[in-house]
Amino acid sequence: MSFKIRQAFCAMAFIWLLVPFLASAQNLTGRVVDAATSNPLIGASVIWLGTSQATSTDANGHFSLKPAPAGQKAVLVSYLGYKTDTVQVEGRESITVKLKSITSIQEVTITGKQDRYSALSPTNSQVITAMDLTKSACCNLAESFETNASVEVSTSDAVSGAKQIQMLGLDGSYTLMTTDNVPALRGLATPYRLNYLSGTYIEAIDIIKGTGSVLNGYESISGQVNVRLKDPEKSDRLYVNLYGNSLAKWDANVNTSFTLTPKLSTVLMLHTDQLANRVDDNKDGFLDLPLGKHYNVFNKWKFNSGERIVAEVGLQALQETRTGGQVNYRSGTPQQEGSFYGTESETERVSGFSKTSYTFKNKPYQSLGLILSAGRHQFDSHYGPRTYNGYQNSGLANLIFQSAFGNTSHTYKTGLSYQLEDYQETLAGKELQRRERVPGAFFEYVYQNSQNLTLVGGLRADHHNLYGWVYTPRFNVKYDFNPNSIVRLAAGKGFRVANPIAENVASLISNREFIFQNNLQPEKAWNLGGSFTQYFEVGERKGAFITDYYYTTFQNQVVPDMYSSPNQVVFSNLEGRSFSKSFQAELQYELTELLDVKAAYKYFDVRSTYNGQLEQRPFIPNHRAFLNLGFATPFDKWRADLTAQWFGPRTVPMLEQQAEGNLRTRTVSPYALFNGQITRAFKRWEVYLGGENLLGYKQKNPIIAADRPFSQDFDASMVWAPIMGRVVYGGLRFTIK
Amino acid sequence: MKTLKLWMLTLVFTASASIGFAQDGKKGQEVKFKTSAVCGMCKATLEKGLAYEKGVEKASLDVNSKVLTVTFNGQKTSVEKLKKAVNELGYDADDAPATPRAYERLDECCKKDAVH
Repeated sequence: MSFKIRQAFCAMAFIWLLVPFLASAQNLTGRVVDAATSNPLIGASVIWLGTSQATSTDANGHFSLKPAPAGQKAVLVSYLGYKTDTVQVEGRESITVKLKSITSIQEVTITGKQDRYSALSPTNSQVITAMDLTKSACCNLAESFETNASVEVSTSDAVSGAKQIQMLGLDGSYTLMTTDNVPALRGLATPYRLNYLSGTYIEAIDIIKGTGSVLNGYESISGQVNVRLKDPEKSDRLYVNLYGNSLAKWDANVNTSFTLTPKLSTVLMLHTDQLANRVDDNKDGFLDLPLGKHYNVFNKWKFNSGERIVAEVGLQALQETRTGGQVNYRSGTPQQEGSFYGTESETERVSGFSKTSYTFKNKPYQSLGLILSAGRHQFDSHYGPRTYNGYQNSGLANLIFQSAFGNTSHTYKTGLSYQLEDYQETLAGKELQRRERVPGAFFEYVYQNSQNLTLVGGLRADHHNLYGWVYTPRFNVKYDFNPNSIVRLAAGKGFRVANPIAENVASLISNREFIFQNNLQPEKAWNLGGSFTQYFEVGERKGAFITDYYYTTFQNQVVPDMYSSPNQVVFSNLEGRSFSKSFQAELQYELTELLDVKAAYKYFDVRSTYNGQLEQRPFIPNHRAFLNLGFATPFDKWRADLTAQWFGPRTVPMLEQQAEGNLRTRTVSPYALFNGQITRAFKRWEVYLGGENLLGYKQKNPIIAADRPFSQDFDASMVWAPIMGRVVYGGLRFTIK
Repeated sequence: MKTLKLWMLTLVFTASASIGFAQDGKKGQEVKFKTSAVCGMCKATLEKGLAYEKGVEKASLDVNSKVLTVTFNGQKTSVEKLKKAVNELGYDADDAPATPRAYERLDECCKKDAVH
């Protein structure tokens, strides 16, 4: 080709390239890409707002849309798994649209690193993935938080084996627990609730600090723990997990899923755990862990019309028996002086929920959802000579309408809810009954500008049949200084009716008298706080630094006082102040290709008023530290994890020699706990081996007057460290995808 | 208690010992497949999936050309087996189509003919 011809050819080509622009000057062209990776999104839909004129992007993310019908100045760009966006195009012929991905579980699983702090959500939230759950001793919710710094799990007493979560230095009952975003395991289920969901049922866990959204009711005060259960559409056809430990406790789990029609799928999940071996390593004559049998089945269905209707139904049934107490105690042994002390509990629980959502035609941002749930929880138990029986029937309906004002920068959710609770408890012959009927309405407005600011304002009004109108406002602000520096602020109110006995079952394992002051009122608190997140890269390795501070102050609280008198627990309304100040700083960093590190420091200042004196809440250390090392070879063929937790000195009450009405305390030394696990993965098999409390730190003599269980002084609830020493465990997982 | 620990250890060791040693000569064979992969996530899925296949030494996908290059040991696996492995991950390999079920379970963005 001579030079001239080449020139002519180039000119021709240039004109040809211009033709599309000249020929259809009003056609809107552009490209749709992923905001994070800039990869083209193929098949994203672009539609003139409020019309049915649409197109979709080609293999390179490009689109060309015919001129708008009169008056349209905005297009709606949507793509499955991404946040829908409205773009103003007035006067522009070509646009590039960056869609933000809704952090899908799949995405997290693929990268499968440490639990991540979300960069998108307006609340301070983080995710524990299914992958993270395989890093620590399986098999229930209590063990799911072991590699997470924000949620703490502690043993409530030295006999029952019950575990409780803590957030912001506050008891687990102030944390709203939801499964698939439906409130669950509330009220009388509290004492053993962490045992009711097997780790193998869980796809991921969201942890939200602060009061969160008004959509799920008025109860959350310190935060929310949402357990996402396995999705029938994405579950493995067969998943088996077997576990055994050095105490001879064993667990078996089987999940199977079926796709019945292209639109209908189901997953059936079974779990059992059993302990028949009597363990008394600390030689105090009491079982360190109760014997137990637990059977649990969960069945979830999903209907996905592919177009606009998605419906889910979940059904759960469980049965659990526990027998604890002195080693020689057998079922039916009379509970009196000179006999053997024992505790037993039998629980049966059935529950179900359904969620249906309908998305409006051509309005992907507008939908209507209905959530229904119901459950019955029934238990019979005795703690030594004291019987404690009860049941709870619950029902909940929640109708949510979601839409936008004008464009998707201004979205809102509004709806109605109705909750009924029927509580019946009998403690040592004394009956307590409560029926709650609570209709409510809520509204939440979200403003999101296209760059860096999200505002969420929510308000609930509920009418409680016992306590009248309850108003709960909640606000969240998120501001991105830049994509790597994010600040969040949160303020909100929470309200809950306490269940003093269920929330203090540990105190039943003593001979203290339970005294209820008249007219206990609901608990109300304000929670204010904020967090700052900084994502960074050092030497091409990613890291994140997260720091947060929350202040929770109670306007009323049901304060259990087991400190002023060694022979009583007195429940009374708060008179004076009660607050929690919680600070956390956490650093996550990928040290090398194979090694992730997570370190955190926490400071808690939690005080309540006892007998007119503002005192530190016993058992809560001011300082804590957390360190997690996660090692994984490429493709996770080998994984190893080591977690260390350090608890600073803490104040504990001295009951043995205490005069009435004045709290005497002593300080116990700091201690550290270590857990570790090694996993080897094959194509379908995984084998794991691990240990909890590797250094075997134990509280000496956790039971006061263990040799005289029927005397006044006996008390097993004054627990601040593990009862069990080192436990070694192992197991295997088998998957058919 | 002690026996249980021992048993667990034995289990782990036998498991890791089964990764045997291959004869030379058959090592380091290479094959290329044209796949239906469309994105970086597909790359992760395919490379991880193949890493767990017996006899695979290395697998890498070039997203732009959709070509998956697999280095393998001919003693332990074959081109047919590798093709099947790709299909079972939800992707076509040359002329062999993806297993429908596996394809269905892919994320929306990984489906070759995703239409929304």
